[in-house]
This record gives sequence, structure tokens and C-alpha cells, in this order.
Amino acid sequence: MTTCVVGLFHDPQSALAAAGELKNAGFETPELMSPVPIEGVEEVLGKKKSIIKNFTFFGGLIGGISGFTLASVTAILYPHPVGGRPIITIPPYLIITYELTILFGILFTVLGFFISSRLPAIRNRMYVPEAAVDKFAVAVTCENSEHRSRADAIFNGAGAEQIRDMGEED
Amino acid sequence: MSLFSRFMDGWRKYRKPGYYDEFDYHWTMTVDLDSCTGCEACMTACQAENNIPLVGEEELAKGREIQWIRIERYWEGEYPNAKLNFMPMMCQHCDAAPCETVCPVSATYHNQDGLNTQIYNRCIGTRSCAVYCPYEVRYFNYYNHHWDSPLDQQLNPDVSVRGKGVMEKCTFCIQRIRDAKDLAKDDDRRRVRDGEVQPACVQSCPTKALTFGDRKDTESQVYQSMNNPRAYKVLDELNTDSSVVYLKKVDA
Amino acid sequence: MEAENNKLGYTDIHEDVVRSIVVTGPKYYATLATAGGLALVCFFFPWFYQLYYGIGAAGMNHPGVWGTYLASFIFWIGLSHSGTLLSCVLHLTNSSWRKAMYRSAEAMTLFSLVVAATYVFVHVGRPWFAHWTFPYPNQWELWPNFRSPLLFDVMAIATYLTGSTIFIYMGSIPDFAAVRDRTVGWRNTMYSLLSLGWRGTDTEWHRLHWAYTFLAVLIIPLAVSVHSIVSWDFAMSIVPGLHQTIFAPYFVVGAIYSGTAGIVTVMFVLRKYMGFEQYITKLHFDNLGKLLLLLSLLWTYINAIELFTGWYSGTSDEYEQLSFKLFGFYAPLYWEMILFCAVAPLLMISKRFRTSFVPMLILSIAINIGMYTERFLIVATSLPRQYLPDAWGFYAPSLVELSIMVGSFAVFTTLFLIFVKIFPSVSMYEVKETMETPKLKPAIPQAGSPA
Repeated sequence: MTTCVVGLFHDPQSALAAAGELKNAGFETPELMSPVPIEGVEEVLGKKKSIIKNFTFFGGLIGGISGFTLASVTAILYPHPVGGRPIITIPPYLIITYELTILFGILFTVLGFFISSRLPAIRNRMYVPEAAVDKFAVAVTCENSEHRSRADAIFNGAGAEQIRDMGEED
Repeated sequence: MSLFSRFMDGWRKYRKPGYYDEFDYHWTMTVDLDSCTGCEACMTACQAENNIPLVGEEELAKGREIQWIRIERYWEGEYPNAKLNFMPMMCQHCDAAPCETVCPVSATYHNQDGLNTQIYNRCIGTRSCAVYCPYEVRYFNYYNHHWDSPLDQQLNPDVSVRGKGVMEKCTFCIQRIRDAKDLAKDDDRRRVRDGEVQPACVQSCPTKALTFGDRKDTESQVYQSMNNPRAYKVLDELNTDSSVVYLKKVDA
Repeated sequence: MEAENNKLGYTDIHEDVVRSIVVTGPKYYATLATAGGLALVCFFFPWFYQLYYGIGAAGMNHPGVWGTYLASFIFWIGLSHSGTLLSCVLHLTNSSWRKAMYRSAEAMTLFSLVVAATYVFVHVGRPWFAHWTFPYPNQWELWPNFRSPLLFDVMAIATYLTGSTIFIYMGSIPDFAAVRDRTVGWRNTMYSLLSLGWRGTDTEWHRLHWAYTFLAVLIIPLAVSVHSIVSWDFAMSIVPGLHQTIFAPYFVVGAIYSGTAGIVTVMFVLRKYMGFEQYITKLHFDNLGKLLLLLSLLWTYINAIELFTGWYSGTSDEYEQLSFKLFGFYAPLYWEMILFCAVAPLLMISKRFRTSFVPMLILSIAINIGMYTERFLIVATSLPRQYLPDAWGFYAPSLVELSIMVGSFAVFTTLFLIFVKIFPSVSMYEVKETMETPKLKPAIPQAGSPA
């Protein structure tokens, strides 16, 4: 039966070493949980692709276009001549464009963050409270008991303080 | 017409400074500083015509007077050789008005008669137009005003009474202009003739120092006075394109 | 062995911050009640009085139509500039001394913006129509006037408020998760919702890092533009004393200056009253002091240039306005501003001064008093002296205005006090990053060990 095994380490280097060994031993990519971001994760577990920058770019683009459109089209709808200026003036509308570019860039970045990190979490997911305080956790799924003992051996070899059984994963 | 030429027409129209190809009327006032005696009859007439509140002694001491037209006094020399200059100052209805651009809710705009109009209902009272006006002719209602009976029977029904929190200023008696235009329209769709419409201040000036008319009408008095060698505009160097022409006082 | 045991570990910062949120003593409640009471009495009651009777309750009059309301508005926006902007810049330069203080600095930004936004409603003549400045479809098909500098203001501040809220929230998500595990009851529910189910996986950290960096990159030009736009409320007029191109850099430098001084004040208070002495150290005050010194020199330079160009122009209008500022009725205020903002900060050249806590606190408060005076002088000495001498006047604030000004500080303090009990006011995960990893502990009997 599939179980999730978590090994708790006291420092990030041993946790990373354990994760690397698990990956090389053929397990599914282990998940690292930590109270601080760990340096060197990408070398061990492979480079992560982030799609957030696409969200930011498209957010900014949409914001820029909508900023200028908002200012110009609303000025045309009810023309209000002021100060001897034209109805569509470029410098003031560029400022509106700039502000809305940044606003939409920010909002779309947040959206991109939520989508790519799969937060907010709808379902209950496996969690180790100590990983938020001062321990570094490596979680891996094991297909059967043979995998389980191999994982335990790797954990102990890397110096795990504690090995925990997290039960079945949905 | 193709979509492209329609777009280009619209672009040209909306990019034209001032938006109007030409004004319907271009109301102008002339002030002859040689004739002005500083009697302040214009101020009284304006106050009567436009329901301008009397703010009271206390408020006046704080500097919160509302005088749509005011007589500015400048003197040179000491008594008994003091020389006094009077300058009636009202809203100049600038074609390139600095006050119009800054209103965030478009409560002031330039209409097609060349007048700088104030829409009391739209004003939220940011008072930035008063800051931007270099002539300082915009006045703010700091309190709700109250006319004790029977003064409330003197109020002009053609002009709204402003509540607290709105800006107001000289309108060239737009209610009289509108009446004159209506009359002219009923009378065989002609244009308003020179002298048919006079704001309250022009009407009441005893020395005829103030003249009012349409500068598009080349036979009007104002058009001729604009070509007077004494003619100048106050703070012309600020390029506000004002519609009030002052005729310099001649030192005898 | 002794020295190693005295070094701070992850659990220390964790415990300290959680304790600061969960454990509340009577002193806190007393302070909160005082601040809230002052806010009610000094800010809200005079404001309601003014709403009922009219702006006449304030001291404004015919040429001086703008007064302390606008000066305070600009002061609070200025105060908001340093927190988020500094946090973003220092994040992008990977500096380590930012870690302990940036959360509270960002909170300062957010609450200053909230107070400034409330000030708009106090200042405007008919605030019940203030929603007309927002672009929303309505039955008159009327939209706001996007050509107006005041409207750039509305857009910029709305964007900055949104951006600051999002920025401080994103940075706090891991800390909410950490606090969630140690709380029960309604607090647990609140933190569970706020932390969005954050687990601290490497994927989540990676995404957070990129999102946070992009936000920082976006917010820096935004912050610079916001105060430039606020300065253009003044600079786009044509009256002497206000119509100057130097206003945009002047206001941005002044904003960062007063904001950094505000951060010093807030750091002192946090340190003393929330038990964070070990995390907010002399190093922070030293670096903030260096930044303040730099900004003070910049500010002095810009002021000197403004005086020089005004004098050199020889225009009577500009000259009259300058001499009214320097030698007129408000001259004592002007020279007090020069003393507090240009002369006194030179004390920070000495490192001993920079690393002493109470002198830095006093100096930071003095700088903010000077900067408030500067905003007040811009309003009170330029409007009463415009082009036409007959229209010159005089403006002095009324009691209602002064009370609202004091009350705005009380509102800010109340909001900040509520903040320290809900948000972790020192960022746990960032401070942990500066610490060494916990030392190896003796072997614990392991649960579920393999056969």
C-alpha cells in the first residue's frame, strides 16, 4: 500500500543529501518542507520552471492597454473640453496607463502565484508542524514495504533525527 | 466612409486643442479702467442677481468673503498725494483656463459660448480650481447660508442657491445670456444682438466702464475696444487667453 | 560551549514572535484603549462636526483654500513611502539587515496610506460624493476627468494601497503558517485562512520567491511615481512657489526621508515594548542612520536649489513668495524646519550617535516634525501670496484642524497596535535565514523506526 514517509533532519544539508539519494535510488521526486527556503535545491532535484513571469508580463500588457483605453474612451463618451486642451491628451493619459500597468501587473502576479503554487489548498495535504519551526523534512511516497525499508536506510544514512509514517495518501 | 477615414476624423476631432472648431458666441467683457470710480455698484448688483450669500461679519473677518466681482485697489504715494487705481476683477473666462483641467470630477468646463462654466451639482469641493486660478476669482462656500426673512424673497429664481462645499464664481450672468438666446431664437432664429444681453454688473455701472458682448460680432463694442491701443489682459504672460479686456488708465 | 548555547536559534525567534502575538498584557490593552479613545475624540468627533457644519470649521479662507488637511495628507503619503520602497530595494540588493525590520516598515506604509486616504474625505467639501472620482459606469455616462492631476493621485494611491497590501500579505504567508500551528480557537481559524494551507515545500518557496521578487520590481517604480504624482497636485498649477519642476524629486526625496525617520521611531518602539531587543540591533539603527544622513543631505541640496533658482529668477512673484516664506509671519517655522531637517541630522555623521537608541529616536521624531512643517509651509505660504497683491491673505489652522492632525497620529497608532497582535511583526523565516542552522541535538528515541 502507498504510504508517505517523512524524515526529519536538523540542518538543510543532510536533508538535501537524503533527497538527492532518494531521487537517485529511483523514488518519485521527494518533497522538501522547511521553515526557510533551502539553497541548492535546484541542483539536487532539478530546475524548476516558473510561469509567474508570464502572468506578470501579460498583466502589465493588459493593464497598459486598458489604462489608455479607459482614459481615452471615457473622455470621448461625454466630451468635456477643459483648459484649451484636446479631449485625448497624451501626457496625462500616459500617467493613467502607467499606473494601471503596474496595478494589473501586481494583480496578475498574485494570480500566477496562486495558480502555480496550488494555493489556497482546498484538500487536506500532508503536513509536518515541526517543518515550520526548526526542522527540515523530506517526504517521499513508498509503494510497498520493500521501498519503505530502502527509504528508511537512506534516511538513517543521511542522519535523520526522526522518521515518521504519514499514513496513506489519497 | 471607410472605417479608417472615420477613425482619422475622430482622431482629428479629439486631438484638436480646445475641441471646438469655433465658438457659437464668444462672450467678452471690456473694463475701462479710466472710467471706473471704484463705486462697487457692480458688486452689489452681482450679489443681488446671483444669490450671493452675505457671509456675515465674523466670516468676513476670517477672509471668507464671496465676491464674484471685486474691486482691487492699488495706490501709489502717500496722502495727500495718493493715486488710487481700481481694477474690477471677475472670472476672466480664460480659453486656456488652468482651473478647468484640475477638477477631478469635471465640474468645470468650457462651453461652446466661450464661457468657463461651473456645475454646482457635480462639485465635490476639492478646491483645487481655486488654487490653480492665478486671478483668485473662485470662491468656496464654507457654510450653508441662510437668508433671514424677508431677504429670502429677494433671491433670484433663475439662479440656484449653493449649499456648503461647492465652488462658485462669476458666470457672466449665464441665466441672462440664456434668456437672451431664447428670445432671439423665438424671434425668427436670429443671433443675439449687441447690447441685448448685459450681465448685472455691466447693467449697473454708472460710468459705463463695463461693456459686454460677443467678440465674433465684428460690429460690437467689445470687438472694437479689443483693438483699442489701451487694451491689455491681466496676467497675459501666463497665456491663459482670458476673455476680459482691460483698457489702461490714462494718467492725466 | 557556553557561547554556542547563547547564540540565537530558530526556536528562539519562533517563540519570541509567537509570544508577541498570543500573550497580551494589561499594558497593551491600556495603550490600545488610549490610542483608540484619542482617535475617536481628536479625529472622528471634530470631523463629524465639520461634516455637519461645513468646511468653515477649519481655518481655510479665500486665498488660503488649502490647509493642514492637504499638508497632512501629503505628510502621511510621504511617511508611507519608505517602508515598502525600502523593503523592495533592499530585497533586490539581497541585504541582510533588512530582515528583522521590514515587516513592521511595510505595515507602517499600509497604515499611513489608510490614514492618508481618510484625510481625503476630511479635506473635500462634499465627501459624500467623493466616489465620483472613481471610474464607474453610471446613468449620466459621466466619468472622472482623467486629465486632472488630482485624478492621477486617486489612481496612484489606489494602486499603491493595493500593491502594499498584497506585498505585505505575500511576505507574511509562511509566518501565518508558522503561527497557525501554535494557536487555537478563532485565532487558529483566522491564521488557517490567511496562510492558505502553506506547507513550506520547496515548490512553494520557489514560487513565493519569484512572485515576491516580481512584486518588488513592480513596486519600486510605483512608489517613485506615487509621490511624484502627489507633488504634481501642486506643481501643475501656475501659481508662484508651487509651479516648479523640482517638485517631483523634492517630494520623493522628502517622502523617503520622513518615512525612514518613521521607521526608526517604529523600530525603537517595537524593540522596547515587544521584546525584540535581540533582533533589532545597533546594526539596524546604524544603517538606517546612514540612509537618513544621505537623504538629509539630498533634501538640503534640493531646498537650497529651490531657494537659489527662486532668487536668481528675479521675478517679483517668485521673489515675494520666497521672502514671505523665509522672513514673513511663518519664518520661525521655516527656520525650525531647516534646523530639524538639515542641521540636526548632521549629528549622524558620528557612529556613536547612530548606534545609540534614544538619541536616534529623538532625532527621528524631530525630522518628522520638520518634514510636517515643510508640507504645511508649502501650503500656507504659497497660496496667500499669488500674483495679484490685492488678493493676498493669511491662513492659520483652526482648533478643529489641529485636533484632527493629532487624531490622525492616534488613528495610525491604533491601527499599528492591532497589527502587532495579528501579524507577526518581525519576519520569522527571514530572520531564521540569517541564523546558523540549529546545532545537533543528542539522539532522540525515534518513533516508527524500521524494524
